[in-house]
Amino acid sequence: MRTYSVSLKQWVKILSLVSAKSNVFAPVKRYDFLDYELLSVNNVDYISFNKAKPTTPLKAFFFPIKENVVKERKELQQVIFGVPSCDLNALNLLDKIFLDEDFLDIYYKNKRENTILIGSDCYDIDENCHCTSYGINPFPQKNCDISFSLINHKVILQVHTKKGEGFLNEFTADFIELDKLPIEIHKERENTVKQLELQNKDLPGNEETRKAIQKEGTVIWKKYAKDCVSCGACAVICPTCHCFLLIDKANFEKVKIWDACQYPAFERVAGDEDPLEKIYTRLKNRYLCKFVHKPDMFNEIACTGCGRCIDACIGKINKNQLIIESCKLRKEHD
Amino acid sequence: MTEKNIYKPLKYKIDKIVSETPLIKTFFISAAKEFEFKTGQFVEVTIDEIGEAPYTPSSSPYVKNKMELTIMKAGYVTGKMHELQGGEKIGIRGPFGKGYPVDKFYGKEIIILGGGVGLAPLRCLILTLLEEEDKFEKINICFGAKTPSDFIYKDWFSDLKKHKNVELLRSVDKADADWKESEGVVTVLLDKIRTDFKEVIAIVCGPPIMMKFGAKRLLELGVKEENIYLSMETNMSCGLGKCGHCAMDSIFVCKDGPVFTYKEIKNTSEMIEFRSLFEKKS
Repeated sequence: MRTYSVSLKQWVKILSLVSAKSNVFAPVKRYDFLDYELLSVNNVDYISFNKAKPTTPLKAFFFPIKENVVKERKELQQVIFGVPSCDLNALNLLDKIFLDEDFLDIYYKNKRENTILIGSDCYDIDENCHCTSYGINPFPQKNCDISFSLINHKVILQVHTKKGEGFLNEFTADFIELDKLPIEIHKERENTVKQLELQNKDLPGNEETRKAIQKEGTVIWKKYAKDCVSCGACAVICPTCHCFLLIDKANFEKVKIWDACQYPAFERVAGDEDPLEKIYTRLKNRYLCKFVHKPDMFNEIACTGCGRCIDACIGKINKNQLIIESCKLRKEHD
Repeated sequence: MTEKNIYKPLKYKIDKIVSETPLIKTFFISAAKEFEFKTGQFVEVTIDEIGEAPYTPSSSPYVKNKMELTIMKAGYVTGKMHELQGGEKIGIRGPFGKGYPVDKFYGKEIIILGGGVGLAPLRCLILTLLEEEDKFEKINICFGAKTPSDFIYKDWFSDLKKHKNVELLRSVDKADADWKESEGVVTVLLDKIRTDFKEVIAIVCGPPIMMKFGAKRLLELGVKEENIYLSMETNMSCGLGKCGHCAMDSIFVCKDGPVFTYKEIKNTSEMIEFRSLFEKKS
């Protein structure tokens, strides 16, 4: 894995140069919100570096909110800079679903292939960040082409893939190649891990969570479902939620649009049978899907600990609180 | 070479439409390109601009230049299907899912239990089995309907009776003056079969509640869990194991099914809930 050092000024110049010919997205903070913006001369000086996750989950770039999936189209190359580790880990599951050899989704595949992913270390954390609870480190280790850290005003780039190497190729003449990551990066990473562990010291890991919610009858679900208004925010903001609806348009065209199992009638069939008719069954389904069903089906956990569902819930349902309570209840029962 | 687009339907023409009952019609579709499917697999049918829904063909997979779909008016898309006149173009994606593992049935006695429009996929299965009739010990067909006039494929029954390897039994929930066969829920027909139930293959298809009671009775008679085949009815939308609508615990019914053995699905929350009804009552 090649490692380079370059000045921040030079790196911003590179992003700027690339943005003239490809779409480059980078996190920019506006008021309290950090989110990806299409880079241009207007915002290139406002990029945030090594912060916790942007509001929009990475999936939106490969699995857009709505997309015509019958019309043919050519995907343009895009660069997504500043992707946090939680979102990169979400690709493990999404790739297994959309790149499934039996039924390959060419729209997803073309976007994945035409995207350069530049991951970045998280050097601060949000209130609800908890990736480490589920064995994910707050710095990119996989699913990205290049990873980025800004340490002491120096940019450190690590190349993970050939695609990443190819992307940097025309710029590396000005880079300094390092034989290893600077020690300061390891210190920063350790520091973030410590912060996360402290913030989530009461939160059980995914295995304990799995066991507890599997045994949970209805008490917890009914209690927390009182605050659920079926808005589906938890699903749309989730980096791994992949459910969609196909909407029919004229000339046999179809539009794939994000759906959510929290919406009423999600599983309803003709004749009005609906296994998820009640709100609490839908809430339960969400948690079982994340911690039991998806691990069983794909050997991947479907929660990367990004905490967005807690941030987004308008009923203020705190997923972690729900899990802590379930695990506590289970210990009392056993 | 461009890769196949899994979301894009191919267009076919509806040749004619036949009314089976006031709520059920059979659609005859001709193929410019041959239809390839296995019995028990389903297709997703699109009505342009309206919507898409899953159906299992009711015609034989051995007939490749046409396909028949028997559809009950039960919701929005099926309602729109029933408004078609014939001659229209529809879109078809598929086939999807795993079919019935017919080769596992060789040498065995078979019981087919069907109710209402559940006879549609079973007709496809029976036509498939009859192609190699000698390979099966015996084929018991138990069909049920609400009333005698609610049976679909009324002309087909006399054909079935001609096969010496086939035993056709029928029941209706409510008989009329002319009805000479059994009366009662379809499971009453199982009591007429004299066989070693431990060795039979049983295939059930019908409304969800009939399927569950059918499975329950077959188990009581001694049919092995791994020899009972059920067709699960869920909201199969994409057919590809992606959209999530048909998820039943850790199963995508569209991709992993829709045909499952009782053994495969007995521990899903839906089946556990069904069993709990009796555990409480007894």
